[in-house]
Amino acid sequence: MSLPENVINGAPPSREVRLRGCGVAPGISIGPAYVYARASITVEEQSIRPEDVASELERFEGALVRSERDLKKVVAVANERLGDESVAVFEAQILMLKDEAVLDEIRTMISSRMMKSDYAVRFVLTKHRQRLEASGNEYLQERSSDIRDVEERIITHLRRNKLLSAIDPHTIVVAENLTAADVILFSRRGILGCVMDYGGSTSHVSIMARALGLPTLVGAHSATQSVRTGDTLIVDGLSGALIINPTRETTERYGRLQSRYTQILEEQKEYVPLPAETIDGRRIALRANLEFKSELELLDEYGAEGIGLFRTEMLFLTEGRLGVSEEDQYKIYSRFVEASGDHGTTIRVLDLGGDKLLPVAHREHNPFLGWRGIRVLLDKQDILRTHLRAILRASVYGKLRILLPMVTTLEEVKRFRVVYNSVCDELRAEGIAFDEAIRIGAMIEIPSAALTADQIAAEVDFLSVGTNDLTQYVLAVDRGNDLVAELYQELHPAVLRLLRMTVDAAHAHGKTVSVCGEMAADSRNVPILVGLGVDELSASPVYLPQLTRIIRSIEYTDVSDLADRALNSSDAEAVRCLLDDWLKSHPYDLLHILDS
Amino acid sequence: MIVRTASKFKADFFIEKDGYEINGKSIIGVMTLAAEQGAELVLVMDGEDEQEALDALVGLFEDGFGEVV
Repeated sequence: MSLPENVINGAPPSREVRLRGCGVAPGISIGPAYVYARASITVEEQSIRPEDVASELERFEGALVRSERDLKKVVAVANERLGDESVAVFEAQILMLKDEAVLDEIRTMISSRMMKSDYAVRFVLTKHRQRLEASGNEYLQERSSDIRDVEERIITHLRRNKLLSAIDPHTIVVAENLTAADVILFSRRGILGCVMDYGGSTSHVSIMARALGLPTLVGAHSATQSVRTGDTLIVDGLSGALIINPTRETTERYGRLQSRYTQILEEQKEYVPLPAETIDGRRIALRANLEFKSELELLDEYGAEGIGLFRTEMLFLTEGRLGVSEEDQYKIYSRFVEASGDHGTTIRVLDLGGDKLLPVAHREHNPFLGWRGIRVLLDKQDILRTHLRAILRASVYGKLRILLPMVTTLEEVKRFRVVYNSVCDELRAEGIAFDEAIRIGAMIEIPSAALTADQIAAEVDFLSVGTNDLTQYVLAVDRGNDLVAELYQELHPAVLRLLRMTVDAAHAHGKTVSVCGEMAADSRNVPILVGLGVDELSASPVYLPQLTRIIRSIEYTDVSDLADRALNSSDAEAVRCLLDDWLKSHPYDLLHILDS
Repeated sequence: MIVRTASKFKADFFIEKDGYEINGKSIIGVMTLAAEQGAELVLVMDGEDEQEALDALVGLFEDGFGEVV
C-alpha cells in the first residue's frame, strides 16, 4: 500500500496528537481525515411561495425515491455480508419511507403551511421521535434513532449535499457515531477506515466493520473535536491508537508496520492448520465467537476449533420480540451446529436485559444490576422452554454445548437444570431425538459466581469467563462512562485473582475454563491468560491465527511464573509494567509490533 | 405486524388511546403508540371490509403478537 503524497513530501501541518480508542477491526490505515458531522445538519424554518408548492412536493418525492434506493443498497450488502437476519433494521426504515400517513402529514405541511420540504420533514418526524424518546424505554429509544436515520437520509437527499455515500474515497471517516448502514455505504465508496467517538466493540457497527475488513476504532472519545477534515490520520485497528498529524518519523514507522501487517497476515496463514500448543506441550483450544450465519465460513479460514460463543441475542433483537418461534430458532441453531463440525458449538442461551423487550412499566433504574440473562429466563419459563426445545433439537446435527449467562448463585444453575430436564422429558415423550449428553456450562461474569466457582464447578460441565462484565462488576466501573472509563482495567490484579480462583475451582473438579471476553482477543494478554491456567480462548475468528502464533512461542512454566507475579502486583499499571518487561525479555516479532 | 395486517384491508383503521388517535396503517404512528403500553386501546375500523379487518386485528392482539406482556 502506498502513502498519500502529502504524507511523504509535505511537512506535517501541526504537532502530532495521539488519542486512544478501541480497535474493532484489525489493520492500519494512513490517510486524510473526513469529519462527518451528522449533527451539523441544521434545518431552519423557511417558507415557500404558493407557486413553488408543486416543485417543492416534487423535490420531496424525489428525495424519498433516492432514500429508498440507498436503503435497498444497504440491505443488499448487509444480506451478502452478514446474512438475512441482519437486515431487519433497514427493512423497517424502508417501511417508514412508505408510511403514507406520515408522508401525507409532511405533504400537508408543504402544501398548506407553505413549509420548505426539509423543514417539514424535520418538523413532522421530530414530533413522532419525541413521543418515543419520552417513553424512557431503551428499546423504543433505539427505534427513535431509526426515525432519525430516515429523517436525516431524506434531508440529505433533499439538499443534494455530499451524500453519506458521496464521501471522498481514500479518506478516513471520523464521526461521533456511525450506523452499520453508514459503514456499508462508506466502504463501497472505498474509504480507508473509520473512527467513532462512541460505540462498543460488540455493537452491530463494529461487527460490520470487522466483516468488511475496514480498520476501525470505536470509543475514541473526543476524536471529532480533535480532528479537522484534511488532517492526516493514522488508525491502528490492532492497538486502538489514533494519531493525528503524525510526525514524519511516526508516519514512516507506521508505513513500515502497515506493510509488515500485510506480511504478518500472510505469515499467519501458516499457523491456521497448526495446534495452539506451548513449547512445553500445553494445548489451548481456540474457538470462535460468532453471531451471524455468514461468519460460518470464517471457521475454516482462520482455523477455529468450533464455536466457543454463539450469541443468540441478535436473532431476538432483529425480530424485536421474545416470541421467536421454535422452528425459526431450530433452523438457525442447527445450521451453526452442523457447520462447526467435530469441535461443536457453545450456544449461550438468550442473554438480554429485560428492559430491551418489555414495556415501560418494567423500566429499571440500574439495568446492569437488574433483570438480565438467566434471571429473565428463569422468570419467563415459557420462553426458556421454547428456546431449549429448539437448541435440543439442533443437537442431533453435531456437538452442542449450552452456556448460561449472568449466573449469580448455584441455585440458578439448579433451577435451570429442573427446567432443562423437564424439556428433555417432554421431547422424549414426543419421540423427538436429541443428544442426551449435552454439556452445560456457566458464565463466570459476576464476582459472586467467581467466588463460589468451586460450588458451581461441581454442578456444571465447564466454566466460561466473560471478562468484559466481570471487570465492570469487580471494579464497579461502567466503561461507557468517560469519567471513570480509565478504571476499566482487565489486567487489574483483582480481576486476575478471580480468574485464578475460577481456574483452580474448575480444575479441582476436572472441568475446563474458557475465556470469551475481549480480553482473549488481545494478544498481549495471552501470556497471562495461559499462565493462569485457562484451557480455552474464544475470540473473533480473525484473531485466532495470531493467538496460535503466540501460544506456540511461549513456555507454560514460564508464563505461569509470570501470572503468579501478576497476581501479587499492586495494581493494573504494575501488571502492565511486568508484562512489558516480560515481553522485552522475550523478543517475539509480533509482540514487538503490537507494542509499537 | 399491526401495520402489515391492517394494510391488507381497504377499511381505514385508527387506534385511539386517551383521546390520542393514530393511523393504524402507519408504522411510525404505531411505534409511538407502543411507547404507552399497558393502556386500553380502542380500535376503530371504517370501510367495506371493516368486519374482516377487525377480526384479523383482534386475533393479533389476542395472540399477544407472540410477545411477552
